[in-house]
Amino acid sequence: MKQYKNNKLGLVGLGLLIFFVLIAVFAPYIAPYDPHQRFESTEHPNSEHLLGTNHVGQDILSELIYGTRVSLFITLFASIAAVGIGILIGLVAGYFKRFDFSLMRLTDLFLTIPKLPIIIIIAAFMLPSVWNLVFVFTIFEWAITARIIRSEVLTLRNRNYVDATRLFGAKDSHILAWHIFPYVVPLVFVQLVLVSRYILLAESGLSFIGLGDPTAKSWGMMLHDAFAYPTIFISDLWMWWMLPAGLCIVLTILSFTFIGYALEEIVNPSLKRSPWI
Amino acid sequence: MQTNIITKIVGYIIIIFIIISLNFFLPRMMPAGPLSGLTSSTQPVLEQYITYIVDLMHGDLGWSSSKNAPVWDVLIRSMKWTLLLVGSSTAIYISLGILLGAVSAWKKGKKTDVGLLILFISMAAFPPFFLGMLFIIYFGWKLDLFPRFGAQTLYIDYSTAFGTLLDILHHLFLPALTLTLTSIGVIYLLTRNSMLNVLDEEYIRTARAKGLGEWYIIRRHALKNAMLPIITLVALIAGLVITGTIFVETVFAYPGVGLLVSDAISAHDYPLLQGAFLFFAFAILAVNFTADRIYELLDPRVKED
Repeated sequence: MKQYKNNKLGLVGLGLLIFFVLIAVFAPYIAPYDPHQRFESTEHPNSEHLLGTNHVGQDILSELIYGTRVSLFITLFASIAAVGIGILIGLVAGYFKRFDFSLMRLTDLFLTIPKLPIIIIIAAFMLPSVWNLVFVFTIFEWAITARIIRSEVLTLRNRNYVDATRLFGAKDSHILAWHIFPYVVPLVFVQLVLVSRYILLAESGLSFIGLGDPTAKSWGMMLHDAFAYPTIFISDLWMWWMLPAGLCIVLTILSFTFIGYALEEIVNPSLKRSPWI
Repeated sequence: MQTNIITKIVGYIIIIFIIISLNFFLPRMMPAGPLSGLTSSTQPVLEQYITYIVDLMHGDLGWSSSKNAPVWDVLIRSMKWTLLLVGSSTAIYISLGILLGAVSAWKKGKKTDVGLLILFISMAAFPPFFLGMLFIIYFGWKLDLFPRFGAQTLYIDYSTAFGTLLDILHHLFLPALTLTLTSIGVIYLLTRNSMLNVLDEEYIRTARAKGLGEWYIIRRHALKNAMLPIITLVALIAGLVITGTIFVETVFAYPGVGLLVSDAISAHDYPLLQGAFLFFAFAILAVNFTADRIYELLDPRVKED
């Protein structure tokens, strides 16, 4: 905690993320309009519509605010689920020798599999919806976490204090929950950030090529709409339609990057001087 | 050692089987109902599956309704552009990433280093399609320096081969730049870090004491030892770059397999999408497999793992 506070970039990243999370949570109170409500189409920014309106006349600022909700929900929910599965598999594989081989072969399989093409083809065959995206990202993102947690557990399980606890008759579940899990928590946070970063990039990409949920538009989906509009680049429309959504993605990714660096310095002090000079 | 290689190969075979089967079963499982036109036959599923595999072996991937041609032919036609795009970007980001990473480590803390760090870390935060759109707006429309779409100027017949080549490179520049910038960060950072570690070693000090030139030390002593982790990473980034073409080609309307993916999605042309999926999946697998082998050749230690 204290270490994290001393890391300026980490604080900037955390601040940015909290900012976006607050917007997502309070979207209905902040957004000037319902994102589905229709006005005149492709209006330029004015006092009523600060960022103008899109091709079907929806207020772009409201779309952007509600889009924060969709993008962050998919990203955070899927990454928590994926990392959760990864923790479980990593703990079991690392602690119980008899499951190790089969679980790790399964993990290797998911690590070698070409993730993004498979995610795209599955998403294309399912009805486009927020939950389906969460589902595919969860299924294909847990493996790295499982591997990392497992190798950490392998070193922890043979420590003297764990042996001592075992001698006192503690059950395996007790040892895992109270004497091993707490030590992998910092790693879990690093993984959460890395996985979130990947999922946000992948989600916006998928939405951009038209696999997003048209009823709950994410930032990537807004870019999809904007890009499909014939005169987006010739007119000035891109400035308020495309740029804000894209920058929101970039800023959120950067916030994950910064938080990730800060956490990694804490978890792995040998990295201390890199990458930040 | 022997069993390790065998488990790996078995793993690859299983993955190829999964990919092929996924391609067969997905349209038959999903509720979206795109299978009308795909499976009109009343054959038992197992027979359909065997027919599918036999067809696949003959390069029969079905008919693309949106391109009005066999999927295989469409893929072959587009493949060269994707290979050109991936190949050129890969060559650039590897050489430039390693070079600039080394320069950065050498100039640690100076303006060049900090500038490069900020540039590449922020570039890595850009989704490739967003960066591509910004380039189209700025270099394509505002400055009018580069073509805004396609891989060649249409309806122009260059009399010389050189003219055609220039035209192709002109079109290639922005998409390749987009792919390079969004994927160079990882390799740059890794080179910089491993160089920083190596530069602290005793033997580097010895080399300096011998009076060897800075650049010679970097090239012959430092970079050589920093190479191994970089090679493992190249495989990982290659996967990102290959799938990155889906987004970059869409933005620049660059006629490769990546553009086929988004075309197929918007046209609901599922056979074409499945064909493109097979192309991407196998391309990534091939790259991973090659990188694995190269790494084993270069570093005898891995064999014991």
